[in-house]
Amino acid sequence: MNTQNPQPQDRETSANKAQQRGPLSSRLATDLILQRRQNPVSMVQFMASVWALSQTLPNRRFVLNLHRNRHEFLRSFCASIMAGQCTLMPPNRQPQTLDDLEAAYPDSYRTGEEDAVLAAPYQTADADQGQKIPQIPWQQRCVIAFTSGSTGNPSATIKTWQTLVAATQANCAAMLEDWTGPANVLATVPAQHMWGLETSVLMPLFANLAISEANPLYPQDIVSALCDMPEPRMLVSSPLHLRTLMSSALPLPKLARIFTATAPLSQSLAVEFEAYYQAPVLDVFGSSESGIIAVRNTAREELWRLSAPFHMQVVEQKTRVSAAHLAGPVMLADKVELVGTHQFRWLARENDQVNVAGKKTSLADLNRRLLAIEGVRDGLIFMPAESSQRLAAVIVAPGLVAADIRQALLRAVDPVFIPRPIVFVAALPRNETGKLPLKAVQAILTARKAKDERQDQ
Amino acid sequence: MQNQSEQERELACLIVEALNLEDVKAEEIEPEAPLFGEGLGLDSIDALELALAISQKYAVQMKAEDESLKQAFGTLRDLNAFIQARQA
Repeated sequence: MNTQNPQPQDRETSANKAQQRGPLSSRLATDLILQRRQNPVSMVQFMASVWALSQTLPNRRFVLNLHRNRHEFLRSFCASIMAGQCTLMPPNRQPQTLDDLEAAYPDSYRTGEEDAVLAAPYQTADADQGQKIPQIPWQQRCVIAFTSGSTGNPSATIKTWQTLVAATQANCAAMLEDWTGPANVLATVPAQHMWGLETSVLMPLFANLAISEANPLYPQDIVSALCDMPEPRMLVSSPLHLRTLMSSALPLPKLARIFTATAPLSQSLAVEFEAYYQAPVLDVFGSSESGIIAVRNTAREELWRLSAPFHMQVVEQKTRVSAAHLAGPVMLADKVELVGTHQFRWLARENDQVNVAGKKTSLADLNRRLLAIEGVRDGLIFMPAESSQRLAAVIVAPGLVAADIRQALLRAVDPVFIPRPIVFVAALPRNETGKLPLKAVQAILTARKAKDERQDQ
Repeated sequence: MQNQSEQERELACLIVEALNLEDVKAEEIEPEAPLFGEGLGLDSIDALELALAISQKYAVQMKAEDESLKQAFGTLRDLNAFIQARQA
């Protein structure tokens, strides 16, 4: 007979629930969590520096963590969570976007905008303090991710510590599969993007991984950062970065595993990647709202394998995803066909959603911003049929030039979504109901191209 | 507008060609105007494509300490100087 008189689960009050806590990390004191130019940082060193930093943070509820260096991002992220702060994840880092976010969250501050190193952390770090792993309230709001919604207003998704930890445990199981040993990871995607946050920030706190502080873009930089880490090495990236690195034909160090997400990867390109990188390439599927939900080895598999905690339903052609750790069901902007309960075939993205270089936004949002520019009377931003992956715009705006449009949009729109070309016309080919047939707009672009080619000859 | 040197003109042609800049002519690229952001309006995709084109034509690899594109590319003049220095 158990004499410890445990409380039955169902008698738990909501007050108790609010007080429940979980650790900031499950790593051991001697584990390596960071790779800094061949100087590995152990968990005990890292935590000592996080404790120190958390004492110095401004007394605010929200933080815009803009650090590009992953070591500084991770340290600030952990310290702000310990201080009870919530990290705001802007959809891009354009000035207007950051200003708008600060206006909406006045009790916030920015860190890492100038890429300053916060202090030389590891000489003065107090090793005793570094042994302690803080307990974070499960219900604490730790991250708010923003995406540009089709209504034009960014939609916010709140992630509690419980959500982030449950998601990370599921991601480790789905992505690392049978890999149990240590590994060193380099990510080419920013930590401020959910894909980067889940893999390069949260996974090292709960799996046996050390993350490189580097945030490389160019092929030569990726190769150098990989070479700076000992084996076994893993790479977190996107199809765009992997394709550029492959085209550079630079000699690569040995890789154990590659993860890619953010944009569709064709089977033929996945096969090419595996041949070039000599490593399994795992394609990862998710959204800012749901986090990572499925994986597949695109070179060999057609169907996506849904990660264990998730359930997927197709309701009136819309895709709904739910999981115990999410605040509620999430509607995806993707059309899918379910195969059994835990696999699906991807069919298409919804029309309003565009993906340029792995970044996603809503055409409705872009067009709302275009029409708000002073001097623009009418116009449309759209994805051309013979798409070079770039958006195009046809605009009625007497007196304005392309540079005016670019400059106005750039205040709040990520540079990859700036249309190219921008074509000015006297009027748009609207039909009698005022609608704008995409074919007619496309024809303007085609005619313009033909004219340019004639002039060039 | 300042004049482009012969080397700068050659690089400007590479930029227009590699990036498919439909509404820009090589001779129109100001040598001292920023290539990225509000200048020519190039972005991170262009940075990758341009880095690749430069490595193929000049056998020079672009490098940056971080994602900061302005440092690596700056203006047409900066970029040309960078390539010439690495080639020498």
